[in-house]
Amino acid sequence: MSKVVEISPTTRHEGHSKLVLKVNDAGIIEKGNWCSITPVRGVEKLAVGKTPEQVPKIASRVCGICPIAHNLAGTEAMEASIKCEIPNDAKLLRHILQLANRAHSIALHNILLLPDYYIPGTETKINPFTPEEPVRSVAKRIQRIREIGQTIGQIAAGDCIHPRNTRVGGMYRNVSEQAKTKMYDLAKEGLTLAHQQAEFMIAVIRNYHNRDFVDVGGMKVPMPKTLGYHNQGYLATHAFYGSSSLDECPSWDIRRFKEARPYDWYMGEMEVTLEEPKYPIGGTTKLGTKTNPQMEACTGIPMYDGQPVEVGPRARLVTYKNYDEKGTAGQNIARQMEYQDCFYEMIDCLDELNPNGKVVADYIPDGDGSLGWASNEAPRGTDVHIARVKDWKVQYYSMLVPTTWNFATCSAALTGAPWQLAEVIMRGYDPCVSCATHMIVVDEENRLVAQKLIQ
Amino acid sequence: MGAELGKYKSCVSARTTDKEILKFSQDGGIVTSLFGFALDTGIIDGAIVAANKEFYEKNPSKCILDNSNFEMIEPWRPIPAVVNTKAELLAAAGTKYNISPNVALLKEATRAFGLDKIGIVGTPCQMQAVRKAQLYPIGFRDVGASIALAVGIFCMENFPYQGILQLVEDHAAMKLDAVKKMEIGKGKFWVYGKRGQVVSLPLKVTHKYEQPGCHVCLDYVANLGDISTGSVGSPDGWSTVFVRSKIGDSVWAKAMAAGVFETQPIEKVKPGLELVTKLANEKITKNKKTLEGRATFGVGKALRNPYI
Amino acid sequence: MADKITVGYTHLSGCTGCTVALADNYGGLLTLLDKYVDLKYMPTLADARHIQKVDVSFVEGSVCINDKLAVEEIKETREKSAVVVALGGCACYGNITRFGRGGQQNQPQHEAYLPIGDLIKVDVYIPGCAPTPQMIRNVAVMAYLLLKGTKEQKDLATKFLTPLMKATETTSACFCDLMVKVINQSLCMGCGSCAAACPVNAITMEYGKPQGERDLCIKCGACYNQCPRAWYSFDVVDNYEAINEAIMAALQ
Repeated sequence: MSKVVEISPTTRHEGHSKLVLKVNDAGIIEKGNWCSITPVRGVEKLAVGKTPEQVPKIASRVCGICPIAHNLAGTEAMEASIKCEIPNDAKLLRHILQLANRAHSIALHNILLLPDYYIPGTETKINPFTPEEPVRSVAKRIQRIREIGQTIGQIAAGDCIHPRNTRVGGMYRNVSEQAKTKMYDLAKEGLTLAHQQAEFMIAVIRNYHNRDFVDVGGMKVPMPKTLGYHNQGYLATHAFYGSSSLDECPSWDIRRFKEARPYDWYMGEMEVTLEEPKYPIGGTTKLGTKTNPQMEACTGIPMYDGQPVEVGPRARLVTYKNYDEKGTAGQNIARQMEYQDCFYEMIDCLDELNPNGKVVADYIPDGDGSLGWASNEAPRGTDVHIARVKDWKVQYYSMLVPTTWNFATCSAALTGAPWQLAEVIMRGYDPCVSCATHMIVVDEENRLVAQKLIQ
Repeated sequence: MGAELGKYKSCVSARTTDKEILKFSQDGGIVTSLFGFALDTGIIDGAIVAANKEFYEKNPSKCILDNSNFEMIEPWRPIPAVVNTKAELLAAAGTKYNISPNVALLKEATRAFGLDKIGIVGTPCQMQAVRKAQLYPIGFRDVGASIALAVGIFCMENFPYQGILQLVEDHAAMKLDAVKKMEIGKGKFWVYGKRGQVVSLPLKVTHKYEQPGCHVCLDYVANLGDISTGSVGSPDGWSTVFVRSKIGDSVWAKAMAAGVFETQPIEKVKPGLELVTKLANEKITKNKKTLEGRATFGVGKALRNPYI
Repeated sequence: MADKITVGYTHLSGCTGCTVALADNYGGLLTLLDKYVDLKYMPTLADARHIQKVDVSFVEGSVCINDKLAVEEIKETREKSAVVVALGGCACYGNITRFGRGGQQNQPQHEAYLPIGDLIKVDVYIPGCAPTPQMIRNVAVMAYLLLKGTKEQKDLATKFLTPLMKATETTSACFCDLMVKVINQSLCMGCGSCAAACPVNAITMEYGKPQGERDLCIKCGACYNQCPRAWYSFDVVDNYEAINEAIMAALQ
């Protein structure tokens, strides 16, 4: 007989979400729903009537870990709509900013993941904040990588956490020769640390997934070899940056995209029939509580070719390099493998950057209402912003956010896993739930609407 | 020393030993020499100063990005800029008696300019802004620890640009373009023309043009600079220098050891600290009255008092 | 000062940028946790899932008053905390959530967001979007001294925190504050602090006075709070050197 257990709120990720899990007698998930319970701030709706300069700055505030993704995708969607090409040096600054943010974000996610893992060779779980070694050195290295990423980002973008230097048409300022040198120095240091940290994390991740059993709140839980497996497929639009409707060969196809409401994909009203007070910390939801993912979920369900897909580091590695490791282990390892290129690619961009180059387009049109879209490969995956700008006012704005793509995919990946490891599977997606809760949902006549969007 | 001069470790009358700087400087060339020395020795890697129209034309990317700064920049309007070399310092040297929002570049200095050790010169209120930004860095992330040398200049009051324009072009009957230097001293406002003429206006005439926001300021000698300096108290061509903080002390000592300045004890010069104290007290007394007046400005209605 | 203060962190409708700003104290975050802070509740970083009774709660984000859980959480935070600190523009003043007006799937009825000070009494503000790591550090150290310090330290902390406590009297912010409360009051002296502080480059200095692009302003409150003529304490700022040194020493 199936029982229903709910973990609410979920922890060690950005935002508020919950897991509603139908499990069998052995505690294995038959069907799981992972859904956002973050209130919907409605950034798409509030954008209508505002200037294309202000909207990307507001969109940046959708997330404080990957604000760069939203700010850049938003700015570039506006530029795509008004058909404004930006100078190359502005592009390079944006690339540098993107890579710097990714480095800090991977490192931050390391902090969020580590408490699940063991110090290899021991039965001790990792507390990233302990002053004891060997963990303290790792924590310091993580924070140093983050400092390097945030500092480089701050130089290119004018401020941390939300970019200040970006604008429609390019950037407000180029950086000085001195600033370029500083970024070089930091990037070189970051590269060394990125190698060390990636190696450490991959070893820890492998160690964890090779175990037969892991501990969750004092419960001994079997570790399946296929933890987090799904066959929903992958979506990525660039190895590290993105694409836009201004590209000669855009790598995202708006016609393959559809949206559904949670009604199609999530479970309806249920009652919690399994409670586990030992679940760390504070237990799972009390017996008898009513829960209704269809109604409570705060996001829609985006699909590519009619199915949810996975976006993120693994999706990028699969799409561009035929990476082939599945499951939660594969995802987290793929993420660590993105560490080094944050700095390799950044150094290449710095090589090319001319501090005396102009960074604002000569002519910035007011817009004629054409549809433009831009994708940004955020740390968590493909972030597509769609915009229409006419006479310097935004007529339409939509954000298809990485974690929104991943909600239904992760839900599918929950099937077959012990329920106590559901959060472990979820964290493999590096969830950013405040971001995700911003999708506009198109109705059943989505084909028509999609065509209308494209006109 | 009463509170009107702020806290200081030492006070001297000083003049730069660099003849080239003396050619361009307002008085003793203290600010230019200090920043020049600090840049040379790596104490700072850039300084925020009030530059001018000529500097902007050559180095637009080093200046503030504002709408009033385009091709038609007026003569003698100061434009905040980041300078990195002695040549740039000289190009920006000299006092401009109107508002230069130097603090507006303080955050950008660590961003697009990539500075780690910032020098900044400013009026007493700007020093207050800098220290508030260090204690309460609400909008100044990762800036406070990078302020390596803040030099304050004495200030009785500042003027909006239009005020100086009218003083020079109406009252002194000169074109701003033809002005080589302006100075306030000995109870007068002096305008020196490029062709050698000198016009002086009684200070009384300048009062109407003062920036009203200055009338609640209780700081004459930039109490919060690492080093503060001004012409008052010292003979012509020399400046009075207060060394105030640990940073100020360290930088001044190094500069002295390197022979950057020649000094005289302030007790030995005329008009000396008495004049500085007198003027400081005049400003503070006058402005305290203004502050008090604000409390009963309307009928049963007060103007706001920013001081907690 | 051997014992720690207990701290909770309630995350409402914010973007987690304030959390990142806290974490951007880098090694300083580790020191704060080692020496001064016993973190009891912060679901982003650790597994405690329910609000705990604590000395100080930081609250990030505004409250969606159409979301039952959010309203319960802010009330519970106030009940269970001796001191509540509104962290960041959204919690203090609404910030970008002021622009929210609902109508979006899957919860089109989520249309009204209020800063937390409109629902509970707030003790201290840390404005900014994002607030800066150093501001969070300074307030955290001062809060610690206020609760656990010697009489002298408590006095210093009180003086330091007073303007941030008085700021809680207002729950909305905008560039217009600079016009209404500074320029129109004949207090602006053209230093440029506001232009530097603005996180979206909405303020330029034109002939020495601030020009705000009101269609770009996100209403975060940074410009006004940074302005030396908005609020200024001679007692505190005159002692900047000693206070800076004390804060640095605390984080050794």
